[in-house]
Formats: sequence, structure tokens, C-alpha cells
Amino acid sequence: MRNEKCEQRNGERRPARQVSPFRIFHFAFCILFLLVGCETSKHVIEGRRGVSAYLSGNFTLSQRVLEPLTEKTDEDYVLNNLRYGSAAFAAHDFHEAERAYVRAYQIMNATKVNDAGREAAIVWLSENKKVWRGEPYERAVANLQLGMIYYAQNDYGNARGAFENALFKLRDYKSADARNYDEQESDFVIALLLLGRTWTQLGRTDEAARYFDRAVELRPGVSALARELGNRSNNVLLYVEYGFGPRKVETGMDGNALDFYPHPGQAGSIPLPNISIDGQSAPTPIQEPLFDTLSMALDRRWQKIDTIRKTKSYLGTGLMVAGAGATIYGADRRDEGAAIAGIGMMVAGALLKASSEADIRTWEMSPRTAFIIPLHVPPGTHDISVSFQSGVYQTWRGITIAPDRETSFLFRMMPVTSREYDFTRPTAQSVSADEVPMSR
Amino acid sequence: MKQVFLYLCSSVFICGSLIGCTKDNVTKTGQRAALDSFDLTTMTDDMAMKIAADPEVLAEFNAHGPLKVVVRPVENRLTGEVLPRGEAMLFTARVRTLLSHHAPDKFTWIMNRDAFYDLRGRELEGIDLGPSPDAINPQFALTATFSSLADENPKRRSAYYLCVYELTDLSGRTTLWSDRYEVKKIAVKGDFE
Repeated sequence: MRNEKCEQRNGERRPARQVSPFRIFHFAFCILFLLVGCETSKHVIEGRRGVSAYLSGNFTLSQRVLEPLTEKTDEDYVLNNLRYGSAAFAAHDFHEAERAYVRAYQIMNATKVNDAGREAAIVWLSENKKVWRGEPYERAVANLQLGMIYYAQNDYGNARGAFENALFKLRDYKSADARNYDEQESDFVIALLLLGRTWTQLGRTDEAARYFDRAVELRPGVSALARELGNRSNNVLLYVEYGFGPRKVETGMDGNALDFYPHPGQAGSIPLPNISIDGQSAPTPIQEPLFDTLSMALDRRWQKIDTIRKTKSYLGTGLMVAGAGATIYGADRRDEGAAIAGIGMMVAGALLKASSEADIRTWEMSPRTAFIIPLHVPPGTHDISVSFQSGVYQTWRGITIAPDRETSFLFRMMPVTSREYDFTRPTAQSVSADEVPMSR
Repeated sequence: MKQVFLYLCSSVFICGSLIGCTKDNVTKTGQRAALDSFDLTTMTDDMAMKIAADPEVLAEFNAHGPLKVVVRPVENRLTGEVLPRGEAMLFTARVRTLLSHHAPDKFTWIMNRDAFYDLRGRELEGIDLGPSPDAINPQFALTATFSSLADENPKRRSAYYLCVYELTDLSGRTTLWSDRYEVKKIAVKGDFE
């Protein structure tokens, strides 16, 4: 009204409706946000379906749902391949698991995978546009599982490479100029022990001793296990995964900070496995868990993206407060320009805050820990059981122990998969997903 | 005030343009400190050329006729790296392919036993599998061993590669020919790693 009066007073005539630059600005931003939201929602839902199937113990369904997502080379490419690989791994479908893990491995080993456009999207739109490559502990576990896939197929050269890479991945927890990685290697002593075992199988006892000594130096509690792993007369290696890794959660004033849930104290201590062969209890050299992803996750270093997210959040809050002030001021003084500017500032602030949400994508299937158990079992067909005090157990009937090479067997222990299974094929690697009975 | 709007609009436009330039194929972005297709072609071209021109290989051919060679996949001795079966075969199979094209009279290629039965099991049409590995005893083996010194820290990943190719006499376990390819790779990490 005030402007119209002014215009009439000056004898000027302007178009009745002028498109405000503010509107263009807001419209452009809203469209961008909507586009980003539309693009991600469909495959995110499919990903969650696959995860739910996995968590309910239906690995075959999980594989079927997740498989199409493994081809989609977007920012969730690594995450979806790890999810699919987990389902295949749990179903002993090693061919598919290897394919998926190698795809993820190639991106996890690459650098600068976020190009300039993607970096702009991360800063201005959503942190979820970042190419997900996992936290260092997730990368280490992925390499550990890839190594176990090769190990179970007696491909010791590739297994060694994957276990070494698992240790490399943990170095991101340390500052760039760090001289040694004692703490990281101590937290993931399983990789050192498996490296020792792999070198043992390759006939390099000197290298094996180097890794076993290093493991015992960092964690004296694994000395008995290291001794048994170095003994080549142990012809069976059980790899037992237990529990689930942490999930990322938003914390802070408006979800602009990251935390991991649960913390080790909230989840309780990790029980040790009991093994029985043909109904007879078998002694194990396990005295303590070999890693705990719940505590490893807490080592997360402050990153540049955290600073950007916080800055955006605080700036957004500041803009909203200042905008509200300007709007009130404009309304009070009948200054339409100031009021519109205030509203614009509030909208810009709200958008900034909305884009400051933390990226909480997590590899939901990662285990909390894993045990490696070397055993000496006479060649032939046997029933092997693994159980925990928590009530989680699995019994596999009819596992064939080869006379001429090491047999490895992988267990994914979950409450919903606690039951007996018939093992119909001669070796672990030849079992397909369809043959693994599922708990419903 | 109008200027501020213009700045905001132009920044939105620039951001939008940058975001629009984002490649949706994450497999085609980034740096890798790993052997790539360039190394594959360079290395295998070089090896094939050197084998074909090697005086000792030529002397063996002149003395006993075509060399019966079995090709084996690359032995992985890389630090912190895996070499899936397909890639491991590729680095030696390409040398075989180049030699069978450019020096077909000098070599008889005998397929690796596992690969032979794998392909025969699939009954692939149009692929000449060559003689059965059981019918002809290979005299030589074309092998390759890839080793590396690698390191990774929060700033970068680097690797020095040594790829050794050998043509070994299987009966005497002696090496008829050997050569190598060396390369160093560094991948620097970005802000959002």
C-alpha cells in the first residue's frame, strides 16, 4: 500500500505484479531440495527393505532386493554393495559376496571420489550427497570379510592383501604425521592374527612369526590364540561373527552433530563362543574379543564436514533470529522492504539449517566383533556347533573336513538364525544361498 | 538490497551448475593408486614385444620348433591389495593374445587346466580352446608375479609396483626369459574422504 501511494504520488506507473528476486531465489532453492529428495527416496526405501530382510535372517530375500541397487553407481554405491555382500557372505554365496566387496573395495581405496559438483552439493544441499565410503572401522571390517572370503577358498595371496588393507584403512583414525599405529592395530588385532595365519599357510613362518609377535606385543591376551594359529596341524578355521556394529545418530541442538549408538557400555560386554564338534565340547584358545566396532567407532576424528555442518547450522539459526527481528521491525514501522527481507532471511536460515543435517548412513549389517578359532578335526563329515551364553547358537550338520587342505567355515550369529542347519555340500564355499535354511 | 539478491541468485546459479556437473557414476571419479588399464596395455605390449624378440626364445624356437606354453594367472604379492581372478588372468592372457596374433608360428598356447575345463563346461561356441592340457604337456609356463611396497596415511595412499614376467622351462625349472615393469602411484586424499 505504501509503495503504491508513493508510486501514485510521483506520477510513475509500474507493472501491477513484479516478480521479487527473493521469490526467484527461494523458488530455485526449493526446487533443488525437492529434486534431491525425490532422487534418493526410492532406492533408500529399497535399501532399507534389503536390510530388514537381512536382520530377520532371510539372506536370500535380502540379496534379491539389494542386487539391483549394487549396479547403481550413485553416492550409495559402496553402501549397497557392502549390504549385498553381507547378505551373500552370511548365505555362504562367496562368488556374489566377492563381486560385491571388490566393487566396494575399489571405491574405498580410491581418493577424491567427490568431484567439484558433488562437493558443492555436500556443502550447500545435503551431506547425504557425499559418496559413502564408510567410517574407517567399516572399511576395515569390509576388508576383513573380503579377506575371509578369499581365505575360505584357500586363496591366501588375496586374503593376505585384504587383511593388510584392513589395517591400512584404520590409519584414517590417526593424524597424518603419526609415526606408528599401535592403538589402531591393537583395536583390530584380528587382522594381525589372520595375517600370521595366512603367512603360515603360504609357508613363510618368518613373516607369520612377525605378525604373531606384533599381535601378542599389542594384546598379550591373544598369545594362546596366536600359538594355535601358527600350528599348521590345525586344519579347520572357524570365523564367527557376533552382534551388530553401531549406528550413526544425530545429536546436538538441531541434529548437526554425529554420535554412535549404542556405546560399548550400553550394549554390554561381548560373550565368548563355545564350540562343540559332534556333540563334544572342543577347547578353544579364545580369551577375549578380537575387536569391538562399538568402541572403534568412538575414535572418529573431527572432520572438515563437521565444521561446515556446524557453521551452517549456527548461521541458519542466526539468520532466522535476525530475520524474525527484521520482520517485526518492518511490520512495526510499516516498512515492507524490511519485512520481506526479514522473511527472506528466515527462509534462507531455515534452508541452511535443513541442509545442515548430519549424514547418518551406516552399514547396518556390520558385526560388533568376530572370532577366529583354529581347530584340529579329523578329515570326514562332522557336526559343528557354536553357541554363546546369550543364547545365540548355530549347529551345522554334515560339514566335510577335507583331508588335503584347510577347511574354513563362516558363522553369522544372530538371534533369529539360532537353529540347526544341514550342510549338504562338501565344502563351505560351494553352498548357495538357496540351500541355507532361513529363520522366519 | 537488490545487489544482495543478485549475488544470492548468481551464487544459487553457480551452485546449481556445479551440482549439475556432478558425475552420477562414482566408479569413474577419483584417483587410484592401483594398476589401471593404461598399465595393463603398456606392460603387456612391452612384454609381448620383448618375448618375441628375445634371442634365447628365438634360439629355442629354432632348435625345437614352437614353444608349448601354458599361461598362469598373476601371483598376488601386492601389499594391501587384492587381485581378483579375472584381473589376475587378464595381465597374462593379454600377453598370450598379442603373441598369438603377432608370432603365431613361434608358440603353441596350452590353456591352464582349470580355465580349459571351466570353458569347456560352459560349451562356448566360437571359442577355440586349443589342445586339451591333458593331451599336450606344456614345456614352458608364462607366469607373472606382482609385488608392491604400499603405504597409506590420512593424507594419501602410495604404492610402488614391480611386475615380473617369466617364461620358465617346466622340466628344468630354469628361466628362459624374464623382464619387469615398474611404476609408482600416488593418490592424494581430498577434503571429504
